[in-house]
Amino acid sequence: MTMKQYIRKADIILFIALVVIGLAASAALTLSRTDAGADAKVVIESGGDLYARYPLAEDRVIVVPAPKQNRADTPAADSNEPASAQYDYYNVVTISGGKVSVTEASCKNQVCVKHGEISHPGESIVCLPNRMVVRIVSGGSEEGGGYDSVTS
Amino acid sequence: MTQSPRNTSAQFVARVALMASLALIFSYIEAIIPYNPGIPGIKLGIANIVTVIALYKFGWKEAAGVSVIRIVIAGLLFNGLFGMLYSLAGAIVSLAGMICLKKTGLFSVVGVSMAAGVLHNLGQLFVAAALIEDLRIFFYFPVLLFSGIAAGILVGIASAMILRILK
Repeated sequence: MTMKQYIRKADIILFIALVVIGLAASAALTLSRTDAGADAKVVIESGGDLYARYPLAEDRVIVVPAPKQNRADTPAADSNEPASAQYDYYNVVTISGGKVSVTEASCKNQVCVKHGEISHPGESIVCLPNRMVVRIVSGGSEEGGGYDSVTS
Repeated sequence: MTQSPRNTSAQFVARVALMASLALIFSYIEAIIPYNPGIPGIKLGIANIVTVIALYKFGWKEAAGVSVIRIVIAGLLFNGLFGMLYSLAGAIVSLAGMICLKKTGLFSVVGVSMAAGVLHNLGQLFVAAALIEDLRIFFYFPVLLFSGIAAGILVGIASAMILRILK
C-alpha cells in the first residue's frame, strides 16, 4: 500500500492552497497586532452587551456574572464572598501588570482559563458557555475612550 | 423479479441506523480520551470516518443521515446543546463541501476529507461568531484551519484504508 493510491494531484494543490491561506491569515493577524498604549482599555462583554470597561494599566479583579443564573436574588455589590458562592455562572477576570487573564470560570471546559494571558489590543478571551468576551482595545479607538457607558 | 436491496427504504433505515450507532461509539471513544488542546473546536473527529465511508460506499443521503443522527445523540449524551449546535453547523457545511468535491472527481478520499475537516471548523467558527456577536473570534481562524487540515487528512487516510478493505 503506497501513499500514491490515496493522494492525487488535486489534493496536493488544495492542501497547498489551504496552507497558504492559513499562513496569510496568521501573518495578517500578527501584523495587525499593535502594542498596547498607555491608555489601552479592557472591555468585558456579557451576553453580547457591554458589561464593563477598565484601563489595562490598573490592576484589578472583576467578577462577571453570566446572563443566565439559577437563583433569583442578586448578591450585594460589595459582597466579600467568593464568586462561586455568589453566582451559578460567572467568570473572574484579572488585570495584572498590563496583562489580562480569566482566572476562574464556572464552566466545565475551562477553555477561557487555559487560554492564558492577553496583553495586545485586538486580542480576546472568549467563554462560550457564559457568553462572555474579554478583549483589549487601544485607547485611540472609539470603543476604548470617551464614554463611560454605552446604551443601545 | 427481485427488487434491488439497495433501493428499499428498510435497507436505507437499517444501514443508516447501523452506521450512526457505529459513529456514536467513535464519538464516545473520543469523548473519554483525556486529551484537551486548550482551544475549542480542535479534535480529531474520528466519528467522521463513518460519515466519509457512508458517503463513498452508499451516498450523500446515508452520509447526511449518519452525521445528523450521530451529532444529535452525541450532543445529548456528551457534548451538550452548545456543542451540538456547533457540530451541526460544521457538519452541514462540511457535508455540502464533501459532496461537491466528490462530484468533481478530481480529489481522492483524503483530499475530500481534508476539505471537510477545514469546512467543519469554519462552520463552527461562524456559529460561534453569531452566538457571541463578535467577529473578533476570527482570530481563531488560522488555528482552526490548520487543525482542520490535520484532522481531515488523518480521517481521510483512515477512511481510505477501510474503504479499500470494504471493496
